[in-house]
Amino acid sequence: MIALAPTDARYPAGLRDLSRPPDPLWVDGDMTSLERPAVAIVGTRRMTGYGERVARELAMGCGAAGVVVVSGLAQGIDSAAHRGALDAGGETVAVLGESIPATIGTLRGRRRPLLPRIREHGALVSEFAAPLGARPWMFAQRDATIAALACVAVVVEAGEGSGALITAAHARTLGRRLYAVPGPIGSSASVGTNALIAQGLATALVSADQLLRAVGQSAVVRVAPQVDPIIDALRDGPLALDDLARRLRLPAAHLSLRVAALVLSGAVGTQPDGRIARR
Amino acid sequence: MAVAATTNVARIPSCALWGLEAAPVTVEVDVANGLPAFSVVGLPDAAVSEARERVRAAIRNSGYEFPLRRVVANLAPAERKKEGTGFDLAIALGVLRATGQVTHEVTALCLGELALDGSVRPVRGVMPRVRGALGAGVADVVCAEENAAEAAAAGAKAIGVATLRSAVAHLAGEAPRAPAAVPPPAPIARPAIDLADISGHETPKRALEIAAAGGHSLLMVGPPGTGKTLLARALPGLMPPLDPDEAVIASAVHSVAGLVDPARPLLAARPFRSPHHTASHLALVGGGSPPRPGEVSLAHTGALFLDELPEFSRQVLDTLREPLEEGSITLSRAASAATYPARVTLVAAMNPCPCGHAGDAAAACTCLPDAVERYHARLSGPLMDRIDLRVNVPRLAYEALRDEGSEPSRVVRERVAAARERMRARLAGTGRRTNAELTVAEIRTHCRLDDVADALAREAMRSRRLSARGVHRALRVARTLADLAGRDRIGGEDVAFALLLRGAA
Repeated sequence: MIALAPTDARYPAGLRDLSRPPDPLWVDGDMTSLERPAVAIVGTRRMTGYGERVARELAMGCGAAGVVVVSGLAQGIDSAAHRGALDAGGETVAVLGESIPATIGTLRGRRRPLLPRIREHGALVSEFAAPLGARPWMFAQRDATIAALACVAVVVEAGEGSGALITAAHARTLGRRLYAVPGPIGSSASVGTNALIAQGLATALVSADQLLRAVGQSAVVRVAPQVDPIIDALRDGPLALDDLARRLRLPAAHLSLRVAALVLSGAVGTQPDGRIARR
Repeated sequence: MAVAATTNVARIPSCALWGLEAAPVTVEVDVANGLPAFSVVGLPDAAVSEARERVRAAIRNSGYEFPLRRVVANLAPAERKKEGTGFDLAIALGVLRATGQVTHEVTALCLGELALDGSVRPVRGVMPRVRGALGAGVADVVCAEENAAEAAAAGAKAIGVATLRSAVAHLAGEAPRAPAAVPPPAPIARPAIDLADISGHETPKRALEIAAAGGHSLLMVGPPGTGKTLLARALPGLMPPLDPDEAVIASAVHSVAGLVDPARPLLAARPFRSPHHTASHLALVGGGSPPRPGEVSLAHTGALFLDELPEFSRQVLDTLREPLEEGSITLSRAASAATYPARVTLVAAMNPCPCGHAGDAAAACTCLPDAVERYHARLSGPLMDRIDLRVNVPRLAYEALRDEGSEPSRVVRERVAAARERMRARLAGTGRRTNAELTVAEIRTHCRLDDVADALAREAMRSRRLSARGVHRALRVARTLADLAGRDRIGGEDVAFALLLRGAA
């Protein structure tokens, strides 16, 4: 872990746009990931199955095209974005809302295995020195850093008052291009993003290609289009076997062989609650 | 009545019980000259020692004489702890025999608690004790009238007596009583829930059928009100009745717990136990001193239903691991150890998340992803590893609620019975009955896979999506699926479905 002063040549240029650039910026991981073109993908912790899929697909598109995904390692959309970038073989930067040792010491559950992967293919970044643990104000300050590190920001899902909207506001102040993913009208997880689009504050984002064009890249490696009808039927989140069968108009008994083959190939998985989900 | 001046030691057959293990005990009573005293030796517990007061009062109030001499009762063999009030009758008859008030040798097994007025009260655990005595060559039993049917059901010539006086009269041949008739097995209650009453839920119903046939453990996950409990309550209606030898063991456990119907002591239907989630580990796996059977043993040969699984304390659930693996539970205490059978089909139900609405089309889930993860993490890995069938019970759309009536329980039960018959033929002579009990060696010989099935199992192992144990458990389920379909060879769809229900991911 090293500390970068704003005077350092390796200090990310984007951060100098901030009125008070982090001094120093603590970095743990691959320094060069801070120099490549980057996209911030953020959103609510209370994501829906739709939001998880979109965040993952956007991040995978970026990862495959060599665009770094910046996010905040929170539950929900943030970690779906980190995971997507890593799974596509790309790099990702996690901007933490507390000091790096505090996160490493306290993070538990499904996000914990992300830490070593991010340090290897990207970096953990924080503007807070050890031993600072999390305080509410730190997360709001961190949201500005996320916006500044990227040249484009995407809000995938945000409810009313979601922290992702703070990142969106900072992105606009800093002159970064702001995108929002449109969601179903009436979905509480999409109230914030739909409002951004409706008020003309953000551009509606409808594909990973559109995002990559905004950073001046074209999708070199396309994410293979999902042709398998089972995988397609799981686009809006996990389904019970019976619901999957009903959607595909097939008897559940006939479906199991095909679903099991997909599970073993790693394309889909079964959740702790017994439902089947995309990987 | 004159007391005969004899110092002969009286010997009365009785029986002690440790768990389900019964051993003959001879109650020896000696009446000797000396200061008036009455002691009971041979490792009696408090209840046995208190027999002195009951016996003294009962003898006097029955019109007999309690000797004003030195009376010693010994429960032989003396080195094991004896518990309970069942020795009262034998001790009283021993005192009467030693003092010549009973003139005939007593060869019948005597079991019963005495009231102070001399009436004979029923005791627990008559069935296993009588079975133990039969094994030791004692065929006659004298016990309380309430216990007579139970003793007769266990195969003894059972004489029910209401009072100490009538026991003496019977033994002396003055007023011989007729042995109790062997009672019919308890009637099988009509299951409250029939599968035909539940619409939709094809996969959960299929999983229920697999659990009923092969004894595999089942976990149902779904939002509140989607029918998880209803499905579980339908399970007894899918299980075939008890075999006679199973019925005796299951009834014996209930007898030790004092839960048998005195008139119909022999169970016919498989037990279905559903302890509340506040249950302690004592209640669930048994315990206490002396150790009593818990719910997992009372559910032996039947099903144990744990509703709201994550609400059970984790420590309590972890104590279930041994009985689920071994099919029995040994409760060791300082004074005694007892082993109870515990071969159960575990059925559990839980919500998908703390608020209950993850994946619910009717209501939005308000839980954060980490909270959902913690909720599932409450169930320990080793316990979840022993769950063979995990199904989601989703909220049904209106068209599914309305759709075709499904098979009635009777039809499924016939299929289950046929599958169990195949399993029994395969496991003949091993003492085991269901596919859930197949050993690894038996899996190799009995689970013959076709090419597709073999490729799937190989891939599951190679991709490390399942451990070797996980694959074995999935193959047992696949064996049951093939048995239900009446096939010898396990097909690809059997293994695929088993892997999906196992949650290979």
